[in-house]
Amino acid sequence: MALLEVRHLTKRWPTGRLALDDVGFEVREGEILGLLGHNGAGKSTIMGITLGMVRPDVGEVRIGGRSVQNNRGAALQQIGAIYEAAVFYDYLSGWQNLRVLCSLSGWWDETEVKRVVQMVNLNRAIRQKTATYSHGMRQRLALAQALLPQPKILLLDEPTDGLDPEGIREFRELILHLRKHHGMTIMLNSHLLGEVEQMCDRCVILKDGKKVFEGQVPSQEKSRRIFQLGTNDIGLAREVLDRCGATMDKFGIVEVPLQMEPHELVTALVNGRVQVSAWQPHRRTLEELYMGLSSRS
Amino acid sequence: MTLFFQQWYGELLKLFSRRRTYIGFGAFVALELIILLLIKKFGMGPIQKAIVGSGQSFEYYFSALTVASTIMGFAIFLLGALFLSLVAGDIVAKEGEDGHMRLLLARPVSRFRLLLLKYLTCSGYAFLLVQFFAWTSFLLGLTLRGWGGGFFAIVPEISVVAFYDWGPGLQRYALSSLYLGLSMTLISSIAFFLSCFRIKPATATIGALTYILVDFIMRTSGFMENYQFLLLTKYMACWGRILAENIDWPLIWRGYAVIFAVNITLFTLGYAVFESRDLKS
Repeated sequence: MALLEVRHLTKRWPTGRLALDDVGFEVREGEILGLLGHNGAGKSTIMGITLGMVRPDVGEVRIGGRSVQNNRGAALQQIGAIYEAAVFYDYLSGWQNLRVLCSLSGWWDETEVKRVVQMVNLNRAIRQKTATYSHGMRQRLALAQALLPQPKILLLDEPTDGLDPEGIREFRELILHLRKHHGMTIMLNSHLLGEVEQMCDRCVILKDGKKVFEGQVPSQEKSRRIFQLGTNDIGLAREVLDRCGATMDKFGIVEVPLQMEPHELVTALVNGRVQVSAWQPHRRTLEELYMGLSSRS
Repeated sequence: MTLFFQQWYGELLKLFSRRRTYIGFGAFVALELIILLLIKKFGMGPIQKAIVGSGQSFEYYFSALTVASTIMGFAIFLLGALFLSLVAGDIVAKEGEDGHMRLLLARPVSRFRLLLLKYLTCSGYAFLLVQFFAWTSFLLGLTLRGWGGGFFAIVPEISVVAFYDWGPGLQRYALSSLYLGLSMTLISSIAFFLSCFRIKPATATIGALTYILVDFIMRTSGFMENYQFLLLTKYMACWGRILAENIDWPLIWRGYAVIFAVNITLFTLGYAVFESRDLKS
């Protein structure tokens, strides 16, 4: 079931630049969806529209069936978010910051807040002013505020930006813990391919405001029919593969068509006088997919 | 309603946790002390002349109340406008600039409600600052002249001159400080309105101060004689009429009705501007 639906979003900034061009996708319950794209691809604009902070020219976002554009208050009841860099009030303590933010959701439960603060490992510093916090602590506080009060969906806009490797790993484990133990649905906006590959089930790739891919993250794909072909006769191999309905990219990665078994394709190659020096299952990386899409367009 | 007060508490907590908020209070006390020292050293020349010129006893009317209202008259327009513009100019623009607004509006709270909370906070601050100023002036007056005596009230810009005994004088002083507090919310409203635009907080502050200053200059200059009804400082000065022997309530209420209407208009326009903005860095 789709918990968050992005429908035909189009947004043009006052400067005339097209930020989004008819973008649509959905985030299913319990999944982690990665939103990928270069800087300025439109990832944060989608986040902004989802939170009702940016108005789309066309289209809408629905959360749990409620339109953000028509009923923002009710739709946002189910969301927790880190949108762009989380900037806290430095002159307030972490606890006071949480109190101010939670009051805007009309909610305050000290026991639950303490539980979440403990979960993000901030219980020692929570009474200190946030001016004294490191970047990692601020990000953990940002996650804590997003988790209060118990959202169904978490929107994370480049949450590991600026974190050190330990911080990134800690944050990643926290997110995966949230999905595993709390069944949280998460939309993660990032330009870090590795981060998306390790955390997400599916991804949407944006390029210049357009959706160029929506599907499973390659490393998560269960039954692939992709092989690495080793041969010196690239031209001849391509001819044979074309005849069989298979495709091969410039790196020799072959996708076997559904109507054939992989060994039949190898037989066809050998019969077509292609010298096959290697034929091994290949797991595509997200980077290959992303770079392929970038170079194609 | 409880929710509204909880949210307002959050705004007040933010306002009163900042050092800048207290600079206004501190600056007022410092200025009050300077004026008090000047009064101690040089006396109250023009005030003394006015009292004696009216055939009254200077010793009787040179009281804590007279000192307090003199101090207030000097300092409120010097510093009041500045600090109110500073706080109200910051309240939306600074939060937008720093990125706090994105954190706040990721919550299921409407922009209208958020702005209303902020507007009430800066208007409340304006009122509180004036009360603080009125009563610290009074306390300083007490240290100089002690309890008792008369009250010589003078507001030259609206030609109000009056003499009171201690009891009625204290009542008038208290009442006028409340109305002065209401008048000063207008400065907050102007700064708040400008703060709703996508501009630097300092620009909102300077814009509000400039508007009030230009308005004041135009009111005091002769060539705007026939257009005074267009100038906001004319209505702001209505608080002084409380000190007149015969209070012209219809005139005062008319003035405050205009202030109230302008405040609501500025809030509504500010909201409209803010509502139409896309909040993205």
